[in-house]
Amino acid sequence: MTATTVRRATAAEVSAMQAALAAEHAAIYGYGVAGAHLTGTDLTAATSDWVAHQVARDSLQAMLRAAGATPVAAAVAYRLPRPVRGAVSAISLAVTLEDRVASAYLGLVAGSSPGIRKFGARQVIAAAIRAAAWRGRTVAFPGFSDRALSPQG
Amino acid sequence: MTGTVAGGSATPGTAAGGSATPGTAAGGSATASTVAGGPAAAGPTADRSRRAVLAAAAASLPLLAVAGCKGIGALATPPRPAPDVALLRAAIAAEELMIARYDAVIARSPGLAAALRPLRAEHRLHLAGFRSRLIVPPGSAAAGAASPAPASSGASPGASGAPARTAAAISFLQGAERVAAADLLRRLTAVSPSLAQLMASVAASEATHVAALAAVRGGGRT
Repeated sequence: MTATTVRRATAAEVSAMQAALAAEHAAIYGYGVAGAHLTGTDLTAATSDWVAHQVARDSLQAMLRAAGATPVAAAVAYRLPRPVRGAVSAISLAVTLEDRVASAYLGLVAGSSPGIRKFGARQVIAAAIRAAAWRGRTVAFPGFSDRALSPQG
Repeated sequence: MTGTVAGGSATPGTAAGGSATPGTAAGGSATASTVAGGPAAAGPTADRSRRAVLAAAAASLPLLAVAGCKGIGALATPPRPAPDVALLRAAIAAEELMIARYDAVIARSPGLAAALRPLRAEHRLHLAGFRSRLIVPPGSAAAGAASPAPASSGASPGASGAPARTAAAISFLQGAERVAAADLLRRLTAVSPSLAQLMASVAASEATHVAALAAVRGGGRT
């Protein structure tokens, strides 16, 4: 009834938030790797994006706790889709990270709560803007493009 | 433990969820027009079969009426169209208008054509994505309303206002992209989950166009 009451998230919404949080953990790790291979404006952009992912992670953790769930923890290390050996592969990694994050947030957009949907949609937009900057071009359906995302063992 | 950066398909029912719910929106098979759930790629077959069902349902109505079938009472109340249909039509009209605006700017400023064509192409994909979810039985009254006027190039409202000066034309398109994205964001709380995902993705694409257009004006990349 009261506007300040936190609406209880559905199981599906909690699951989608956990998936988005896992993607944010991976992005934070990945930007750390990518940043080590970047310089100048690229490094500045990578640092800025790294911070943006930390802010988003914090938001998701708070939302999950408010929903009575325990936020998933970050892994100690992550396998990279491809080895990062220089600026080109670092930028390619950043694109992949953002695509994965956008995709994960689309899961929130499928939620039933308008607030969660909007949060998810805004994050899809933010990830798409970062991805387009790294990619150097735009795509028609951010979050839906799964090319080059197959995990490698 | 280790995780996968790229991966782990940690998103069951997320992006793929676009295809996971073809049945939801299309549930009311008797509606004059309905909404298909699958993404553009998965569309054709599902569309065709559903179209066939809908066409068959529509065709059967006059027969029942003529026969004075007892069950006709059940058909007296017109089915309420799903909310998705109205919002989908709005999204389709908005994409048609965006394409018309790009057409108008490209016609007035041919020098921008090379930079603007890729963005217009993405709007065409958006339009196709939305259209693929709207199913209108052939010959139905709603069929004519499926594609409103704006498709006819320069004559459309909004497109005729395209400025001639390059900087102004770019600003015009940027403003249009922002409004289009904001409209989608506002509407996506009222539609089915899979359509909301498509709307969010299209809104994100349009948001990236704003920055891409800035690069065009600045003579930068793209």
